[in-house]
Amino acid sequence: MSALPDFKNRARAALADPVLKVAIDRTTGNAERKRAAAVAAFPEFEAARARGKAIKDHVTAHIDHYLEQFERNATARGAQVHWAADDAEARAIVTRICLAADAKLVTRAKSMLGEEIGLPHALADAGIERVETDLAEHIIQLAGEAPSHIIWPAMHRTREQVAELFKAGHQPPPAAEDPATMVQSARRVLRQKFLSADIGISGANFLVADTGATCTVTNEGNAELTTTPPRIHIVTAGIEKLVPSTAHAFALLRLLVRSATGGEMTQYTTFHAGPRRPGDADGPEEMHIVLVDNGRSRMLANEFREMLRCIRCGACMNHCVVYRQIGGHAYGGTYPGPMGSVLTPVLDGLAASRDLPNACTMNGRCAEVCPVGIPLPTLLRAWRRRSWREGLEPGSLRAGIGIWAQLARRPRLYRLATRIGLPLMRLFGKGGWIARLPLAGGWTAHRDLPRPAARSFMDQYRARQKGRK
Amino acid sequence: MTARTRILSAIRTALGPGKPPAQIAAEAAALLDPADIARPRLAAPSLPDAFAQKATALGTSIDRVASLADVPRAMARYLDAHGLPPRFAMQPAPDLAALDWQGLAPHPGLAPDEPAALGLALHGIAESGSLVIHSGPENPILMAFLPLHHVVLLREATLLPYLEDYAARLSAETVPRNAILITGPSGTTDIEGSYVRGAHGPGFLHVILIAEPG
Repeated sequence: MSALPDFKNRARAALADPVLKVAIDRTTGNAERKRAAAVAAFPEFEAARARGKAIKDHVTAHIDHYLEQFERNATARGAQVHWAADDAEARAIVTRICLAADAKLVTRAKSMLGEEIGLPHALADAGIERVETDLAEHIIQLAGEAPSHIIWPAMHRTREQVAELFKAGHQPPPAAEDPATMVQSARRVLRQKFLSADIGISGANFLVADTGATCTVTNEGNAELTTTPPRIHIVTAGIEKLVPSTAHAFALLRLLVRSATGGEMTQYTTFHAGPRRPGDADGPEEMHIVLVDNGRSRMLANEFREMLRCIRCGACMNHCVVYRQIGGHAYGGTYPGPMGSVLTPVLDGLAASRDLPNACTMNGRCAEVCPVGIPLPTLLRAWRRRSWREGLEPGSLRAGIGIWAQLARRPRLYRLATRIGLPLMRLFGKGGWIARLPLAGGWTAHRDLPRPAARSFMDQYRARQKGRK
Repeated sequence: MTARTRILSAIRTALGPGKPPAQIAAEAAALLDPADIARPRLAAPSLPDAFAQKATALGTSIDRVASLADVPRAMARYLDAHGLPPRFAMQPAPDLAALDWQGLAPHPGLAPDEPAALGLALHGIAESGSLVIHSGPENPILMAFLPLHHVVLLREATLLPYLEDYAARLSAETVPRNAILITGPSGTTDIEGSYVRGAHGPGFLHVILIAEPG
């Protein structure tokens, strides 16, 4: 998956879509309220958050140690551990396992890492039927789309749109268009797939170093139905998912679930340690774990290291004023919203995605709600600095900022310029706002500018000081 | 050079020399200490009450009985109340097989669309109202996911206060292939945020809480 360079066009199209706005508002609004209630009911949240941050920082600082420990223990439980330096290697490993097993049908439990490494396309290219089992992923598979959110991948679709998709995609079609009937219909359709799949592929919320287990959390139970019946279970996971022990996973889980959905625990929290053992009543015969780097080790060495704390809860996007206007698809990468705007340049390169850090308003809400204290606005600013340093910002902007910088270094000239500029700017204002301003079309094309005061702050301040004397 | 070598050497170049494993382990343990400052309080002073409160809030129904011998009657009550036939799938555990199932017909197999199944929880966790099951010869994992009604026996004596207490148990024994915490019936909010039960797994989770010590 790569971010296309026409972010502005996608954002414009999203802003013009009233149905999309309704769909996003319903889900993010709910998520915001439920998170606030969950945090209010957990007075220890701040302490838990400090602990979560410390756990992730500890793992990041010793990630080589934990990777080797995890590999040792997972192998001891009978799992086969593979390493992939980038997305192409990860795709190749998974495809190779599927082809070696002569797999025709693969079920998949939602995994953003799978999206990141382009697994759906790789499986299609290998001629393998892939069935998404998370309800939202099932919806977007029917629609031929990518996820638009990391917790609610189909949040951009209204109930009516889902009904259309199910009518066309389910045999027999659902009897009614209410959510309960539609969910029953998906349950019927997917159940046949769960039980006839050759391979189940899942992601992992945590990799537990001291047991060698991978951990998935879901509310639907699709992960267990994906990973238990087939002959082979493949896990793909980013190397930053490591935790020292099960107890550390629980400490993070308390933060993850509250921040993601406003719940306290997901309905199912499952630890998978190796394949079926002698005498086991069910379970896969082989378990493969693919540890994926794909840019993460690079982040250890640069200013984006703190991003490795991310536990993929989605709270930053639910609280982002930009995400809530344009939705996830406009971002163009695998991960949308504030966390995506930091990660997409790592994954796809800054040249293709410099618009994402620039779209941020720096209101700081994402950092306020982040359960592991990632300073998202600071990291977005770091991308802006890099973009400037690498000469990726357009010439007109560079010239404008250059002129402003020259002025700002000469206070008298600056004050003179504002004294001339302010009345001129006010000529373009209607009511309290400026909708169009010459030379500032890049700004005013997408939003209005507040009409400035008649006199600059310095002039007003000076006048007040004089009045006091 | 293998991907493994490339990844580990990139990490080591970025991080510099590592600490001794014992020191890393000590630091990791210290991160969780003290446990109490960063976790929620229990919902009630007694473990069964705290468990029941949390579980009920999440949509799990609870029937409290005095002893294991009361379980067949409690099961009959539940099946009756939901208009279900007396036939149900049952976990192949000796404790369950030994009960007097007169009038009911438990069977060991599990159909893909099994209406109801009865299983035994290894632990309950009071903090979250979660049930714990481990895979093994006596516990097919699909027993907890294929039926529409999942009925689970839980002994009060096996209740643990916090998630960490369960983690400590787990680290003291052989790690099972699958360890699952079940916290309420299967549900989804994927269509416009409307909550719907029974997305893939059971739409009904019922706990028979047994007071008598195991």
